[in-house]
Amino acid sequence: MSGPSQKRRNVLRALLSAAVLAVLAPFSGLARYFYRENASQTQRQRIANLKDLSPGTAIFFSYPRTGDPKIDGDPFRQYVLLMTRDGKIRAYSRVCVHLWCLPTYAADRGELVCPCHGSIYRDEDGVAVEGPAALQPYPYNALPMVRLEIDGNGDIYAVGIDGLIGLGREWRVRSPDENVVRV
Amino acid sequence: MSREYRTFKEAIDALIKWTVERLERTPFAAFKFTFPKQYISPFGYLGTLTAIVFLILGISGAILMFYYTPSIETAYASVKEIQESVPFGFVMRQIHYHASNFMVLLAVFHLYYQYFSGRYKIKNEVLWVTGIILGILTVLEAYTGYNLILNQRAMLAINIGMGLTFSAPVLGPSIAPILMGGGYFDLIVRFYALHVFIIPLLMMLLLAVHIPRALIIDMPMILGVIGAIFVVAGMFPAELGLRFDPTVGAVEVPEWYLTSIYAFLRTGSERFWAGALLPLLFAIFFLIVPFVDKSKRLSWRDRPFFTAMGIASILMIIVTTVWGFYVDFSKLTVFEQLYVEPVIYYGSFGIMTMVSFFITYRFLTKPRGRPAPAKPLVLSPRAGTAGVVVTLLLVLAFSWLAVLTYLENLPNISMFNMGMSMIMLGLMLHIYRHTAFATART
Repeated sequence: MSGPSQKRRNVLRALLSAAVLAVLAPFSGLARYFYRENASQTQRQRIANLKDLSPGTAIFFSYPRTGDPKIDGDPFRQYVLLMTRDGKIRAYSRVCVHLWCLPTYAADRGELVCPCHGSIYRDEDGVAVEGPAALQPYPYNALPMVRLEIDGNGDIYAVGIDGLIGLGREWRVRSPDENVVRV
Repeated sequence: MSREYRTFKEAIDALIKWTVERLERTPFAAFKFTFPKQYISPFGYLGTLTAIVFLILGISGAILMFYYTPSIETAYASVKEIQESVPFGFVMRQIHYHASNFMVLLAVFHLYYQYFSGRYKIKNEVLWVTGIILGILTVLEAYTGYNLILNQRAMLAINIGMGLTFSAPVLGPSIAPILMGGGYFDLIVRFYALHVFIIPLLMMLLLAVHIPRALIIDMPMILGVIGAIFVVAGMFPAELGLRFDPTVGAVEVPEWYLTSIYAFLRTGSERFWAGALLPLLFAIFFLIVPFVDKSKRLSWRDRPFFTAMGIASILMIIVTTVWGFYVDFSKLTVFEQLYVEPVIYYGSFGIMTMVSFFITYRFLTKPRGRPAPAKPLVLSPRAGTAGVVVTLLLVLAFSWLAVLTYLENLPNISMFNMGMSMIMLGLMLHIYRHTAFATART
């Protein structure tokens, strides 16, 4: 078949395709429904002041904070801000990259120790040196870090996460010092 | 209808006839139900048995939903309430738990029976492929189910599953947050939705394609399987476990159908390649087998390569599952107790798989002489009866001994008894149909 009837059919087909697209287009962002919005880890949040920390101390905090105790108490939002014995400021996710238990800070040894299977992380860079987490290949053997900004008043802000919580961090790509910025 | 019926039976017969005639307008007419009048091998209808256990899971699960709350704060407490204070809650939970184990087990037997008898040929490719997908969904359904309790064991499984998803190449990092949401408080709700609705719905849709039109409904065997679920529940009731606490280490081993994956992870190898790639290869092998094995032969004897592959895959499952359960309690720390030396692990795994493959292959390809014609089994009626009576007495003696042994300290005697009575009912049904059929013949 050819001629004007074929042409008319083509026009109708194009119109129909356009109509289908017009109906479906608003749903293009549907995928966003499945991701929780307040889980985005780019919020700027004040944690503490430099005066609150002395060498060998740690402050536990939740990030990004919402005010809802159920959400803020979630293990995946647990972090530790610490000052190493030689005065470096660091903040790590508290979720062990082995089996997701919550390590605590052993200041006297300069280590983060997981209570479940005994993984031990260095406090200056969060890299596992002993236990099951240390056996995992790079980059699955280091705690994710919180990117920090310290302003002129000494206020410490969390501004983002370096790494994937419960999984690891590419600690050879980005040194821990790059995650602590003085502004 | 103005007709009059003289007896009640006539009226009932007429009603049944009326209903059956009208049902012919529905898809029901497409199915051919067979109620066997004598014993037939249950291997042929393992699929039906699996489907019936699935139905039991649906019913018991729906009833459990009345009390269970999918919330990070109350999930464990609500399961505890079901287990300890709701009347019959304990029974419901045990049925649901043990039926899930039975379903996975029956599905595995179903798979291997169909595999070794070459049923994936003869235009059954669609049935076969949907069956494999159904099997994977069954394991996923069981997995999401036992995570809902939020005990230590559930958290271990969630952790491993999410770790595997996260580390999957390309799509992993974008799929995992969909399951995970903003954290555990989201995860529990999402797993709940998957467990009670999304996965069962997918399974039922696939079942509509997987179900063959000729169905065998063997009531004695069905009662036997349901009874067995109760008996096992009576002997090994599922416990609550410890409430999840991320600051306490516990030696936990996942459910038996996941320990094989767990074993790979315990060697400390990279997550995805160890924990997901091999099971994936396993599934892919079974998915493509009907398109690779093009011969017209059905019997396992005539397909040495595929039979050997099947045997090797069974050995693979056994070796990895045993390693998954292995815990060395002589070691001091939890980590050392759970660590599996990779060289020993992969060594034993490789050797067992290959040896079983080659032995089977050699055995089947060895030239055989013509098999001797089978001797017809002739039993004189009296000898047959004596044999049956002796066997029955032996079975009775053993089961009574077992009951007496367990009676003293059985964790849950009532469920055991319920199961036993169901099995007995099945046995009686079998004897009844046998004698009824025998008298009808003479």
